Parts: sequence; structure tokens; C-alpha cells
Amino acid sequence: MQPTKSRAGNGVASNPARWAVALILFASPVFAQLIPQQKQSNLASFESVWSTIRDKHWETKPGGLDWEAIHAEYRPRVEAATSTEAARAIMREMIGRLKQTHFAIFPAAVYQVLDADGGGDGWPGFDVRVLDGRVIVTEVRQPQSNIKTGWEVLKSNGTDLAPLVTKLQADPAIHELQLERAVTARLSGQVGATRSMVFADQNNARVSLDVKLQQPRGQLSGFGNLPPQPVWFESKKLGNTGYIRFNIFLDLVHIMQQFGDAVQQCAHCDGMIIDLRGNPGGIGAMAMGMAGWLVKQTGERLGVMHMRGATLNFFINPRAEAFEGSVAILVDGSSASTSEIFAGGLKDLGRARIFGTRTAAAALPSVITRLPNGDGFQYAVANYISQGGKPLEGNGVVPDVEVKLSREALLAGHDTVLDAALDWIGKQKVSQ
Amino acid sequence: MTTFSRLTVLFALAGAFAVAQPLPKAETILDRYNEVTGGKAAYQKHTQEIMTGTISFPAQGLGGKLTRYALAPNNEYSALELGPIGKIESGFTNGVAWEKSSIMGPRVKSGDEKDQAAREALFDAQVDWRKIFPKAETLGSEAVNGEDCYKVLLTPPTGKPETRFYSKKTGLLLKTTTTAISPMGEVAVEVEVSDYKTFDGVLFPTQSKSKMGAQQMNMVITNVSFDQPAPAGTFDLPPEIKTMVDKAAGK
Repeated sequence: MQPTKSRAGNGVASNPARWAVALILFASPVFAQLIPQQKQSNLASFESVWSTIRDKHWETKPGGLDWEAIHAEYRPRVEAATSTEAARAIMREMIGRLKQTHFAIFPAAVYQVLDADGGGDGWPGFDVRVLDGRVIVTEVRQPQSNIKTGWEVLKSNGTDLAPLVTKLQADPAIHELQLERAVTARLSGQVGATRSMVFADQNNARVSLDVKLQQPRGQLSGFGNLPPQPVWFESKKLGNTGYIRFNIFLDLVHIMQQFGDAVQQCAHCDGMIIDLRGNPGGIGAMAMGMAGWLVKQTGERLGVMHMRGATLNFFINPRAEAFEGSVAILVDGSSASTSEIFAGGLKDLGRARIFGTRTAAAALPSVITRLPNGDGFQYAVANYISQGGKPLEGNGVVPDVEVKLSREALLAGHDTVLDAALDWIGKQKVSQ
Repeated sequence: MTTFSRLTVLFALAGAFAVAQPLPKAETILDRYNEVTGGKAAYQKHTQEIMTGTISFPAQGLGGKLTRYALAPNNEYSALELGPIGKIESGFTNGVAWEKSSIMGPRVKSGDEKDQAAREALFDAQVDWRKIFPKAETLGSEAVNGEDCYKVLLTPPTGKPETRFYSKKTGLLLKTTTTAISPMGEVAVEVEVSDYKTFDGVLFPTQSKSKMGAQQMNMVITNVSFDQPAPAGTFDLPPEIKTMVDKAAGK
């Protein structure tokens, strides 16, 4: 989908760099002849994609296909391709034969859209979500700021956000999680730097503010080769309902300890709400460990992961002090991976009721590498089947109660998803 | 028959003769291993063992340290401190096999998993291999990293069998394949060992490379000491495990 002319026009005019990106994306000469080096790099990219799937796919016959025959069919076509775009289209067609998600090829130029301009850990002090194509402030963590929940972020450092959202939403290979990361990156930068932002306030009046970027919330925590990520955890009581939220399944020792403490401190609560909205996942085993604080029965599991050469049960080891009351889990399109394994498994076991919107359907461990021609290649290395018998890949977790955030509710100080979960827990208490 | 043909037949017969050589019995191979690694007396001289080392998962960039205490006849305690995963402890005491970790909490093992832990806790498992593997048979010959080995199948009374590969030349164990049992499922494991070093008269492999599905794990033993007392309480059941055991026993 092309951006609307007016929005595209604004973006191009205000940021020459994005104009260049747009040109790369939409105005590449389709019929340009490839120089031998480009042809060779496309062929090397094809071999890399084909052999990676042959060697890493969890099925020895990927997607039930004769993968050698696929090579024989597609290599001559890539050899004959007259442009990088044509070669990419052929490779996309090849991986499309798998009929499995999380196999994707991103044009090199898309990285320029996805990547933050400038990079850095600096955080503007508020969180955003993309609601109905608009970037909306959902939480403000900087009390002294004039910014309010429900405001729309229109521009950051002169860049219109709406055309960026439109462009990314038009690409089926980019899901909500990636979209929100791309948007968040536009609001981030070096700690201490200032970003000029333009908002639409509660009256849709334009408000221009210079926002100083601060240290990201939480403590940095790494895991092996994974670069350190900021990790935070919060728990509180909303009336007599426990509320737990953390941004990522990392910093295992501390987060598991805090999760266990929060559950035990709420042993007599009416219910427990675990908010996984925006949580992209992390260490899969943490889902098993947390489920042990919520499930009393032995012999249960969240699901099964199938890898090449191994099948692993995501088993639950019930804790002696496991919580026995009602459990609600809040999710959205940015709840991915371990969040989905946790929410989907507990839903399938009938242990939790899910509120929000469908999750990212990105429950498989997948890897993104760069190909010789500069394109990005994402591939999955395992399949995960939730306890209900369905793969989470491509399906995600469908909430029991679908509730969307809305700008209007946020402006009125309401979190509609949280309200629905609290309402359900209240009714459960009455019915008991 | 030409000379060439006669030679061909001769070599063929020689080959057949070589193939027809009877394989040594499994017990001969296993007892030879005990001999070349120090002998029964050296093994049985000790009643306590402390082993320290390092462990790494190279693909994930994870590493940590490992400590294992063993006390005859069958008490065992291991602690693995694996960076961001935290501490994973396991043990076997008074017939109870257990595990405790930051992720999963305390757990008492049962079934085949418990039996496997019991076999691994037996202090004299190496010299008393007949106690834990009532059935042992030599399956044939197979090379491990280019070295000719005898392939021996060992079958315990319960659980999964394991296959070991002993060098024909040195008698040393070079590889083991088996199935690891846990609540996560049964996973085929292949362990190659190397770098044998002597600790108080007993030869130990100090390096191992294990493959479990797509995972690879490396271990390096840095020290083995004998008959140094373990810290007090090392083999006691952790309180949470004791509570679980008592509850299961109706106490």
C-alpha cells in the first residue's frame, strides 16, 4: 500500500533522508541490468537462504517439500534474474512454498526504515502504541512532563510518524511488534539528547515540546550473546487484585524472584492480573517457571517445542504456594514469543482468561541474518505447539475477551483492557 | 588363476579372517578401562570426591562453573552456577533424587529420571558397573574421530540403555551416546570425552563436548580431589525438598 499523497508529501519534504529511502523502495529501476558482482551476490544469497532452511528447519523435509528439487527449480531462475528485486521475489516465492510464517526476506532498504535514526538507549519517558494507525501515548512515566496519556505523537525531530506507520503496516512481512519497535526507535536516541516532538493533545491542538531523552527504565541485563536489554518489573494491588507487569522475560534470577514474591504476597487476593502487553518474550523457560506459581496440578505442561533432533515439553512444576484464585492475562499484538507460550498455555489449560487483542503469532525461536546482497533473512528453527494442540506460529493467542485500547478511553484516564479484566475478576468473586 | 587374482582372493580371505575375529566381551572392555585408568584398588581407595570445573554453551555465549560432591556409597550433590540462569542444584541422598533452580523451584525426581540419578550417584559406579548394568554386550567396531573403538551397549534394569565407545588402542572411553530423561522429555545425548589426566592415581577425562539436539555444551574439569570432607550439610536434603518428601510420605 502506498502512503497517501498528502502524508507522503509531508514526510518527503521534511526529511530528505526518508525521501532517499522512499526512492530506493519505490523508484528502483526495475529493468536495470545487474552487474556481475550483484548477480553473484544474489546467487550467494539464494544459496544461503536455501541451505539455511535445509540445515536448520525443524523438519528434515522442510514443509514436506523435496528441498533438493526446490533448489533445482529456483536456482536457474535466480541466475536469470535481471534485477535484485526480481531475485528477491523469486527467493520469496521459494520460501513461500513452505507455507510457514517467520520465513521472510527484508529488502536491504527496509532496514533503513526499521532502524532508528541515530540509535541509542535514551527513552522519552513515555510509552506509545499504534492504535488505528496513529501513535498514541499509553503511559507517561515522567510526572513532571506535560505529556498526557491519549495524546498522539505526530512528529519526532521533524519526521512525520503517520507515513512511517502507513508504510510499515503495508508490508505483510512486518508485524505489529516490529512496527512498534520501529516507531519507538523514532522516539529514542542518545541519553541526554533532545528530541523535538509534535503532539496532538486532548483537543487535537498541536503541542510542540523538546523532550530530553533519559536513561531507559529498569536495569540492563544480558543473556549470553544477546546484547544487554533494560529490564523492569512492577507489582501492585488494584483493590484486592494483584497486578504484575514486566517488560521482557530476561534477568531471570531477579524477575523469577520478584514474580514469586508478588504471587506469595497476594495469596488471598481476589485475582491476579499479569500484563504482558508489549512484552516481546525472552527466555522460554521462564514461562514454565512462572506457570508453576499459578498451577496446582502436577503433570501439566504449556505446550511442546519441536526442534530438529529434540522435542521438549514446556512442563509445569507446581509450587507449594501456587496462587489458586482467578488469573487474567493481558496481551496485544506486541506480546510475542515467551509471552505467547505463557498466555497460550495457561489459556489452553483453562487456568487463565485472556484479555486484549491477538498476540504477535511469533512464538517460534527465529533468527535474522543478513544475506550477501544486504537483504535480511529471517528463519525459524523450531515449531511450538501449545497445549490446546495448535501451533502459536501464525495463529498467536486469541483473547477470550477481545478489548482494544482506544485513544478516547486513554484520554479519559481509562485502560479498557485492564478495566475488563478487573471487571471479570470482580464477577468471579461474586459468583464464588 | 593369475597371480593378481590369487592375491585378490588372498587379501579377500585375509579381510574375511579379520572380520571374523571375535570381538572381546563387553566385560573385558569395561574391566580394561578400569585397569588403564588406575585399577580397582585406586578407585576403591577413596570414599569422597570433590570435582570442580567449568561449563559453557558456546552458541548461546553462556558459561559458568560446576561443583560436584560425592560420598560413598551413593550420596551426591551438584551445583551449577550458570551466569544469568542462576544456580541449578541437584542431589541424591537417602534414596531421594531432587533438583532446585531459580526458574523451576524445588522438584523431587521420580520414575526413570530418579533411577538415572541413582545410577549416577553410585560412588563406585565405574568399578561396580555390573551392579548398574546387568546386561552388557559388544556391538562391534566404530571409529570415533578417526580412532578405532569397540562399541558397547550397556542396559540398566530400568530406563534407557547407553552406548559407549572404547579405544581399541588405549582402552580409554572416547564417546557415550544415551538418552537424557527429564520432565521436558527424552533427549538423545552424545558426549565425547578427551584430555585424560591423573588425579591421585585415577585417570579422568577432563574435557567433554556434549550434543543434545541442536544444543552443544562443553565441560572442562579443572580439579578432582579425594577424601577432602565436603562442607557440613552438603548432602542434606534442602528444606523445601524435605517438606515435599515428608508431605508425600504423609508426615
